[in-house]
Amino acid sequence: MYGWHLKILRVNLTTRKITTENVDPKIARDYLGGRGWAIHYMYKDMDPSVDALSPENMLIFATGPLTATPAPTGNRYMVVTKSPLTGALAHSNSGGEFPTWMKRTGFDMFIFEGKASEPVYILVNEDQVEVRSAAHVWGKDVHETTDILKAEISEEARVACIGPAGENLALMAAIMNDKHRAAARSGVGAVMGSKNLKAVVAMGNKNPPLHDSEGMRTLSVDTSKAVGADVKKGSNMRIYGTSYVPQVTNTLGILPTRNFLQGTFEHVHNVDGDALKDNYLIRHTPCYRCPLSCGRLTEVPDGPYKGKGEGPEYETISSLGTGCGVSNLAALVKANYLCNEYGMDTITTGMTIAVAMEMYEKGYLTEAQIGMPLKFGDHDAMIEMIKLMAYNKGFGRDLAQGSYRLAEKYGHPELAVTTRKQEFPGYDPRGSQGMGLLYATSNKGASHMEGDVAYEEVFGVPVKENPLSTDGKPELVKHFQDSFALMDSSGVCVFVGIRYMFNKDRMILPQTLAEMMNLATGAGYTAEEAMKAADRVYTLERMFLIEAGSGPEWDVLPDRMMKEPLPDGPAKGKVVELDKMLPEFYEKRGWDAKGYPTKEKLMELELPVR
Amino acid sequence: MLIRVKMIANYRDALPPGHKHGVVELDVPNGTTVYDAVSRFDIPLNDESVIVLNGLTVDMDTPLKEGDMVTAFSAIAGG
Repeated sequence: MYGWHLKILRVNLTTRKITTENVDPKIARDYLGGRGWAIHYMYKDMDPSVDALSPENMLIFATGPLTATPAPTGNRYMVVTKSPLTGALAHSNSGGEFPTWMKRTGFDMFIFEGKASEPVYILVNEDQVEVRSAAHVWGKDVHETTDILKAEISEEARVACIGPAGENLALMAAIMNDKHRAAARSGVGAVMGSKNLKAVVAMGNKNPPLHDSEGMRTLSVDTSKAVGADVKKGSNMRIYGTSYVPQVTNTLGILPTRNFLQGTFEHVHNVDGDALKDNYLIRHTPCYRCPLSCGRLTEVPDGPYKGKGEGPEYETISSLGTGCGVSNLAALVKANYLCNEYGMDTITTGMTIAVAMEMYEKGYLTEAQIGMPLKFGDHDAMIEMIKLMAYNKGFGRDLAQGSYRLAEKYGHPELAVTTRKQEFPGYDPRGSQGMGLLYATSNKGASHMEGDVAYEEVFGVPVKENPLSTDGKPELVKHFQDSFALMDSSGVCVFVGIRYMFNKDRMILPQTLAEMMNLATGAGYTAEEAMKAADRVYTLERMFLIEAGSGPEWDVLPDRMMKEPLPDGPAKGKVVELDKMLPEFYEKRGWDAKGYPTKEKLMELELPVR
Repeated sequence: MLIRVKMIANYRDALPPGHKHGVVELDVPNGTTVYDAVSRFDIPLNDESVIVLNGLTVDMDTPLKEGDMVTAFSAIAGG
C-alpha cells in the first residue's frame, strides 16, 4: 500500500493483549486518516456514553497518509478520545518528531483500551511491541521521563508521555512529545493517566512507500523554495512565530484580558512578540522537516524565572499572560515551561486561574480557601497555582477540574467563559462573530483549531472579512471546519494552509490537499471527494457527541459573550449574535432546525444510521 | 491634522527610528485617506497586508479624522 500502511496496533492494557489489524482500503479512503479514522473506530467500537476516565474509553494516536512523507508539514498526529473535561470528543494535534517516528513503526494508528494494573509504558519498534513497567518514571516530569526512556531504549526513539498532571488526572492534562510539543486540549493526558499509561515510545524505519515519490519530492522542494522567498521578504512566521499575534488581536480589541472582562490589554507591549524576541528568544525552531520553522527556542537566563525550553505560543500569551492580567514576561515564559514539564494545556490552565482571580477579586473566593491572595496580574501566585494543579494539592484540587466546575462549585457559573465546559482560546468572539459560531459548534468544545475563521476575520488570509458582521459566517465556519477536518485527517499542519492553500477560491485548499494525498497514496481523490470525506468526519463526530449527551443543546455560548458587551476597543458594545448565525449554520450543514443531522444527510455521507 | 500609523511585527522595519512600540504620529492634510497614510511607507499594499482603521475593517478610501490610528500588519495567522 502507498501513503497509508493500512495497519493499526491495538493494545488492551487490562489484558496486555496486543493485536494488529488491517484497515479496509475503502474505510481508509472514505475516512482519510488521522482524525477521520479515529472517529470511525471510536463510533464503531465504544459506547459514547461511558465515563471518559473509565477503562472503556478508547485513547487513539492517529497519523495521516501524509505523515512521514516529504509533503510540506507532513509531520503531524492526532490524539483522539472522549474528553473528561467536556464529555464530548477530544481531538488534539501535535507535531515535533514523534508523529513521524510513529508512522515509521509501520502502523498508522495506535488504539489503547482498558487500564493497566500498574503504571506502564509501551514500546513500539516496528513489529516489536512491548508493554513494560513504568514504575521507575511514574511521578517524573515530562523532561526527565523522556530522557530516561531514551537512554534506556535508544537515542533514536521518540517519546510521547504525560507528566504529573496526567498522572493526577487533572482535566487540563496534556500528552507531550519531544518534550516541548503538546497534544494539549481537553484533558487527553488525564485519559492516558487513567489507563496507567505513562509513555509511548516509537521507533522504526518503515517509511511509507509513496505512489509518486518523484512528484512528492518536487512538491516538497517547490514549497521550500516558496517559503524561502517569503523569509527573504521578512516572514513573520520565522521571526515571530505566533508571538506576533497579541498586537494584532489587541488592535482589533479581541485580546482576552482578565477573563474576558476586556478586549485590550494596557501592557500588551510587555508580553508581545517584540518583547519576547528582544529578551528571551534564542532562535526559531521547526517541527520535523518543516520549512516554516515557527517554533520558539527561548531561555530566561537567570533570576527567579530561570529556565530554557520552547514557547510561549500566542495561546499561552493570551491565557497565562493577558487572560490573567499578567505583564511580567519572564514569569509568563516560566509558567509556559512549567506547563510543558508538568504536561498541561496552557489555555485551560491559564483561563481557569483567570476565573479564580476574578472570583477572588469579587470576594467569591477567599484567601483562606485559595491559600494566598490571587489577584489579576499576580504572576507569582499564578505560578504557585500551576504547581498545585499539577500535583492535585490544596486549591489545585479545585483548579484541576477546569473553570466550569470551579465556577459552579463556588456558586458563580456565569464567570466561566466556556462552551461544552472548555475554555475559550485567544479570540474574543464579541469582536469576531464567526469565531463565536465556531466555538459554539465545535465537536471538541470551544476551540479555534476546529475551523479557525480568525484566519479571515483577523489575519486577512486569504481575504479580510469584517469580524463584526455575522453575514456569511455560517458558510465560512462550515468551510473552515471541513478544511480543518481534512488537514487533521491527512497528517499536515494547519499552518501549511497559510502559505499557499488558503485562497479566495475556496476549493484550492482541498484541491491541493487532494493532490498531495494522491501523490502519497494514489487514491485518486478529487477536491470534492476530499471535502465530502471531511464533512463525513465532522458529521460522524457530531453523531458521537449526540450519543455522548453533548448534542445541539450544548451549542451555546456563555453569558459573558451573549449578554455582557465588550467595554473597550473597536468592538465596544458588541455581544455575540449567535441567534443570527446558528440556524443558518444548521441549514448549511444539512441538519434539521434543532441541529440534528438528518437521515438523508447521513445516507448522503454513507454514515451508519443507528 | 494629527493621525497615528502603527506597524506590527516585520512591518516596523518600514518605520524611521524613534517610534514608540511601532507607532508614529503624522501631520496630514484634511482629506487624507487610509490608503494615503500607509502608502507613505515601504510595505506591500495588496493581499499580503492587512490595514485597519481604529481596529476596524474599512474601505481604503476612507478619509481620516483627527486622532485616528491606522494599523498595518502582514497577512499571516497564529495559534
